[in-house]
This record gives sequence, C-alpha cells and structure tokens, in this order.
Amino acid sequence: MADVVVEVRNLQKTFKRADGTLVKAIDDVSLSVRSGECIVLLGPSGCGKTTLLRSIAGLEKPEDGEILINSETMFSGDQRIEIPPQNRALSMIFQSYALWPHMTAFDNVAFPLRSRKTSKEEVAERVNQTLEMVGVPELAGQHPSDMSGGQQQRVALARALVAGDDLILLDEPLSNVDAKVRDQLRRELVEMQRELNFSAIYVTHDQIEAMELADRIAVMELGKIVQLGPPRDIYEKPSTRYVANFIGTVNELPGTVSSMNPDGSAAVKTQLGIVNVPSEEEFPEGSGVVLAFRPERCSISPQQVDGSLNWKGSVNTSSFFGSHTEHHIKISEDISFIVWQADPKQLTHDEEVWVTVDHTNLRVLPFEGHEGIDENH
Amino acid sequence: MPSKQRGVKTLGSKLTPFQAFSLLVGFGTAFLILYPFSRVLVRLFWVDGSLNIEPFRNVVQLPNLGQLMFNTFTLVIAGGGIALVVGFVLAWLNERTDARMGGLTDILPLLPFVMPVIAASAGWVIIGAPRAGYFNYYIREVLDLVGIHLKQGPFDIFTWYGLIFVYALYLIPYPYLLISAGLRNLDPSLEEQARVCGAGLWKTLRRVTLPNVWPSIAGSALIVATIGFAMISVPILIGTGADIQVISTRIVRLLNFTYPPKTAEAVGLSVVVLIVLVAIWRLQARLIRGGRFATIGGRAARGRRIELGKWRWVARSLTFGYVFLALIAPLYGLLITSLNGFWSPKTRWGQLTLEHFRTVLWFDQKTRDSLFNSVYLGLIGATIGMIIAATISSYVQRSTGKVSVFIDGVAKLPAAVSGLIIAVGFILAFAGPPFKLHGTMLILLLAFIATHMPSGSIAADGAASQVGHSLMEAAYVSGASESRTFWRINIPLMLPGLVAGWSLLFVRYAGDFQASAILSGTSNQTAGKKIIEIYEMGSYAYLAALAMGLTLVTGTIIGVVFALTRRRSSISSVV
Repeated sequence: MADVVVEVRNLQKTFKRADGTLVKAIDDVSLSVRSGECIVLLGPSGCGKTTLLRSIAGLEKPEDGEILINSETMFSGDQRIEIPPQNRALSMIFQSYALWPHMTAFDNVAFPLRSRKTSKEEVAERVNQTLEMVGVPELAGQHPSDMSGGQQQRVALARALVAGDDLILLDEPLSNVDAKVRDQLRRELVEMQRELNFSAIYVTHDQIEAMELADRIAVMELGKIVQLGPPRDIYEKPSTRYVANFIGTVNELPGTVSSMNPDGSAAVKTQLGIVNVPSEEEFPEGSGVVLAFRPERCSISPQQVDGSLNWKGSVNTSSFFGSHTEHHIKISEDISFIVWQADPKQLTHDEEVWVTVDHTNLRVLPFEGHEGIDENH
Repeated sequence: MPSKQRGVKTLGSKLTPFQAFSLLVGFGTAFLILYPFSRVLVRLFWVDGSLNIEPFRNVVQLPNLGQLMFNTFTLVIAGGGIALVVGFVLAWLNERTDARMGGLTDILPLLPFVMPVIAASAGWVIIGAPRAGYFNYYIREVLDLVGIHLKQGPFDIFTWYGLIFVYALYLIPYPYLLISAGLRNLDPSLEEQARVCGAGLWKTLRRVTLPNVWPSIAGSALIVATIGFAMISVPILIGTGADIQVISTRIVRLLNFTYPPKTAEAVGLSVVVLIVLVAIWRLQARLIRGGRFATIGGRAARGRRIELGKWRWVARSLTFGYVFLALIAPLYGLLITSLNGFWSPKTRWGQLTLEHFRTVLWFDQKTRDSLFNSVYLGLIGATIGMIIAATISSYVQRSTGKVSVFIDGVAKLPAAVSGLIIAVGFILAFAGPPFKLHGTMLILLLAFIATHMPSGSIAADGAASQVGHSLMEAAYVSGASESRTFWRINIPLMLPGLVAGWSLLFVRYAGDFQASAILSGTSNQTAGKKIIEIYEMGSYAYLAALAMGLTLVTGTIIGVVFALTRRRSSISSVV
C-alpha cells in the first residue's frame, strides 16, 4: 500500500499567453500517488489540473522538476530526461473520449495491446474480456458514431483498462454524459478501481465527483496544490476560504483576532460580538479572519440554545429541496446565513428566528487570499 | 486547453525516426521548389557579382504592357467576381434551402473538376464559335422557325464576354467548396435568431449570414485570384481567338514561341503577378484578423431549411444549369466533333465514326503516347504529391517551431509563382549536368509535384485539421509510436480528404499545360501540350478526340477511386 506509483517533485510549467504575459500553469507542485490510490485533482478551469495530468502522461513538457513513475524517471529538468508518452506504461481517458472513429469498439480496445505486440489470440481474449467487464460486450463490432455517450465512455474505459497498466489518468471523463449516466458510471468506476486496484489520477471541477471517487483530493488554485487530504478533511477542515468555498457551501462571518486564549482558542471580534473559536493555527492579534461554518452544521430554533452561539435574524427565503430545506436568514444589513434543516417545514418571510451553531463547528480561516471562487468554473 | 500555448523553455530532445522522416520529406520538397526558383532569380538579377535590374526595365518596355495589364485585371476581376457571386448563391441555396437534393448536391457543382480545363476550353471553342459553334447553330435553327434569319451568332465565344464567361465557369467550384464549408460550420441558430428578431430573409442574409462567412468569401477571393492569374488554358484557347492577350499567355509566348526565349521578361512579368497576389493575400489576412466571426461549437446543428415553394425547382435548375454549361455542353461538343470527323454543326448522324478516336488513342503513336504520359504522370505524381502533402501537414500540425513554419510556407509558395517560371527554373536547375533530366518524364514529374504542391497541401491541411489532437494523444498513451500513430490513426482519418486532394492533383497533372509548356518535348509529350499543338494546326476532330479521351480517362479513374474509397467520404471534404 505504501508503494509510491507516481512521484512528482517541484514541477514547473509556464505558458505564454497570446499577449505575451507569462502564466504559471504548474507552480512548484509536488505530489505522490500510492499504489491503488485514487487522487482527484480538483479546481476551476485554468487552475493547472489538466496541465499537471498531461505532464504526467508526457503530453506536455514541463520546464523543471521531476516526474517518476514506478521509481523510474520519466521527466527530469536537471538530467534533461523526457520519456515519450508511448513508453510510460500508463493509460489515459480523455474528456472527449478520443475514440478513433474509423475503428470498431473492438479495434479501439485492441489498439494498446497491438501497439505492445501481443499475440492475436491474446488480443481477442483480453479485448472481449474487458468489454465484458465494462458491460458492453455487444458493442464490439460497432463504430463510435453509432454509440451513445455513455457507451462511448465505457469503450474508452475498456481501452484504458485493457493493457493492465497500474496507472490510469482520467481527464474529466464524465463531463460529457447525462447526469443519470454520470452517477452510474461514477459508482462503477469506484468499484472497478477497488477491484482491479490500479492507481488513478482523476481531474475534475465537480466537487461531488471528487468526494465520491477520491482517496485524497488535491485542491488546486493558480498552479499550486493548496490543500491535499482525504475528502472528509478537505470538507471539514479546509485550510483556506478558497477551499472552503470550492467544496460545498459555506457561511462566512468576517472579523479580526483580538487575542489568542490560553486554551488555544481565538477570540475573534465580529460585527455580531466577540466569538471564541477553537483554532489549530496561531493568529497574530489584529489579523483579519473569517469564521466559516457549513449550512448543515447550524440550525434554526425559536429560542436561544444554551452553550451555543445564537444570532437573531429574520427569514428571507425558505425553499424545500426534497432531502433538506434551505433557509436564508438575514442577521444584519450585510450578513446573512444559509441553514439546511432536515425538517421539511418551510418558514414564512420575515419570521423572526434564531440561528444557532456550536463553537466546535466554526473554523477560523485567514481573510486574505481568494475571495470565494469564480462563478465560471 | 493548453494546446495553443507554447512552453517558454524547451529541453533539447533527440529526433524520433518519424520526425527525421518528416523533416527529410519537408526539406526535400523545399529543395525541389526553392532551388529551381532561386536559379531563375540568380540567373536574372545577379550578373557578374552585382544586382542587375535589367529585366524590370525590359518588362516596363514590353510593347502593349498597359493593355496586357488591363486585360489581365479585367479578366480576373470580372471572371473571379462572377465566380464568387455564383459560387455563393449555389452554396447558400444548397446549404440553407430545401433546394438541396441529398448527397447529389455536394457532388454536382464539383463535377466540372473532373474535366481538365484545357479539354473544357476546347469544348467551348467548338460549341461557342460564332459560325460553326453548335449552340449558335441550334439557336439559329430555332430562330429560323420564327422567321429570324441569322448568318452567324447570336453568341460569339471569341469576345470579352465569352472569355469572361468560360473563365468564371471553371472558377466557380472553388468558391462553392469554401463557402459551403463555411455555411456548414456556421451555427444556423444564429440565423434563426435573426429571423426570430424580426429580420426578413434578405436582411438576415445581409446582416448575419454574409458577415459570418466572410472568412470563407475572402479565402475564396484569394484562391480565385491565384488560379485566375495563373490560368492559361482558357486564355490560350479562347483569348487567342478573341485577340485578347493576358499575362499568362504572354509569358508562354515569351518563353515558348520566341527564339531565343525571353526568359528575363517572362520572369519580370511573373514577378508583377507575384506582387499583386502577395498584396491580395495580406489584404485577406487583415480582413479576417480585423473581424469577429462566429465559429462552430462541437456539435453540428441542423437548422430548418428555408422553404422555397415553387421557386425550389428554379433554384435546383441553377445547379443543373451550371453542370450543363460547365461539363455536359463542352463534352457534347467534343464528342460530336470527334465522332463526326470534322467540326461542323450539321451533324451527319448516320455516319458517325470512331475512326478519330482510334487514330488518336491508338494509331497515332505520338498522340497516344502523350495521353499515356499524362495519365501515367497523373497517377504516379498525385500519389507521391499527396503522400508528401500529408506528411508535411501532419508534421506542421503537431510541431510549432520555425522549421515547420518554413516548410509549410515553402509548400504553399508555388501558388504565388507562375508554374511557367518554376518550369524555367527546372530547365536551369535539372536539365543539364549533373542531373541531365532534359526531355525526361522525371523532370516533368518533379516539376508537377513542385508546381501543384499548394493544392495538395491545402487539401491535406483540411484533412489534417479534422483529426483532433486528443485522437493522436490517445494513441501515444496507448503505447503507439509516432509512425504507428501516423499510419494507423492520421492517415485513415485523413483518407477522405486525401482522396479528394488526390483527385484534384490527378486532374491538374493529367491536364497540365503550365510545366509542360516549357518542359515537354517530343520525347516526353503530354496531352495538354499536344492539345495546344493540334489546336494551332487547326485539326478540330483530333483535338476533340484527344480532349474527349483525356476527360474519359480522368473521369473514369476518379470515379473508380471514389467508388473504392467511399465509406464515409465525400468530395466536399477537400477544403
């Protein structure tokens, strides 16, 4: 389990825009992927996740740093080594599937084996076996243009699996299929990865996908990995506002640190009074922070709850979503919170309620840095 | 996402065998084009170690230079303009209205490509001449019935309008191809949106459709001008009869019918053409860069076609009318004359004979050889030419360095230089020692490949651009080497475009009268050169039989090639 399949060290890659400005697509990134692990590179478009994946595949040439696959150097800026993609013994699934339209599903899947000089009988056996495994044995003789998006996706998956490489790279493979098919394919992908025990690096901008697939998520921003950890850690202990906002919905209450308490908690002065919050990080006095908490970790109550933080507000909107009900509660002129309640009861507009949240559900995050996230991710 | 951007710093890397192969082909082609061309330039402008501008002075002093310029520009602008308008109308009717007739629509306007222009021009001489021309004769017969008696006419092909008409006729397929492709790529919902916003048909066409297919129109104008300036078959057959000289025919005369050949003046004249074409090319590039144009999204949207009602058959008859004028009418003229035995509108239907075909295609060894040579050069040359073009296009597509820009530029260069000048360069470069290729088939083959490289290259570019990057990348990560990827992925996917490009080259080579005018002699006679020779001797039955034979052979071969390769291909994928 501890075997490292991919090791990326201090990778650098700069692009030149059409107007001549330089953009750091990969900015000193290090990452290691363990055997059988699925790492998800998560971030909005332009954060460098696809460039990182393509560099590992050998389709982009970084300027500096090192990439090792199974302890063999595939790229090294210092040693001037660059192994071409066809010699890297990995598979990749493309966003567009990249099935070759002039070949049948069988020939598409057989291609990696034939490129590696496999005997005819073995090709036939393994291709059929793999098509069977991904659930489309009946498509063997069909051309991609005669298949649905989901079917094409399965054939692309078969092509990636057939050679039995222990590393598979996936570049937003599910972004082109319908929501229903996407859910199903995602579950099958998880099962298959567990069963065949290959390592996977998966690029997506979809946080749901990331949460379901990842052993660890690497959240990327402007060419850097800003946080790396299991989905639960990323969700519950985001290290920056950017990460907190990218994964899920978050309420933010801005303030300044007035002092650090002896018990390690921080006293934060906010518009709604001084709040004492447990903090793993030391903040200097006077530093700007936000107190972040998730909508499902707070609740609505008709009166104050002892031992919790209580803020009085009025209901702005209240919408029923099936699994939960979402309330927008206006606390003051420029502060309002989102609260998710399992209780399907909707509240009336302007109704006065209390928003209560336990201190332990608050997280102190530095104010500076990314102001939320781009809308167009 | 990052495919259009470039790494700032690159590592030195070794050449793969495939890159080495591509570079070898690329530089070989560059040598084949640049070496003869530079021999011409050096020979002319570099005398005794210093620059010599004598040729320009000679050009300026050419008799009737003003008239020559006026004629050429009038012909190119009028003929090209008509071709653009008709090409656009046909393309719009077939892409946007219910006048479309399935796949037939894509092929019909391109059928005239199958007929070498030199054969078609000969056909038009035969049907359009004022006295003996078949059309005029038939029209006079009809007019007789209503009491109008004419001795000649009513039409005369040997006039300005006749020349412009035939000129336009054989330029139309180029704008048609480009503009249909442009319309097909333009999302019809843009036009539907305009209609919804209350714009009428005409306003939509003018305000939305035209501005958005502007790049295709500008590109067509460039191609029409390039081909128009270089076109020699129409002006030499029809312009001579009308006593209208243009630059291309003057160049032939300076080189071929003057002794000693006035190479300096010929080159000077072609430099004039080169300057004009470069100016048009810059203008086109600027026009395209200055504007904002809608381009295709991923999926091909199909809008509802405009219903023409009873005008539908009028619109369709435009397409049929074009095919009739460009292909069927001249073929008819050639066929009847060759069967009749002499050029007369009074066909003796009972006495038609295949004798002339037999003579031309069998008994007359020289004519037979010329036809054989042309077809042979066409088959071999088009195949080699397309392989070179495909290799260069694929190489250029995947590498962005200066080398690929250079090779790509050189491959397109002959478009701006008259084929006649390249042929002169071939004489200087390869005819004598050490190559000693004078009078051989090889020198013709090489000259054809060099002269017509741009057509092949443009067709291959179009085919290459249809192969998405990720399809190649998927092959690499599947463990395929570059050459395996090229032969198993690129070539099969490019095949429809390559076949279309091959056909174009094949007809050009088989009907060539540019390089052949200079390089072809008794030992390596080509059909194009022979047609001109026979024309100048005035034996029209032989002329018709040879032109007909040439068209039959090219038509049959292209038909067979398309039948064999037609899976998902269509000729419309040329551009």
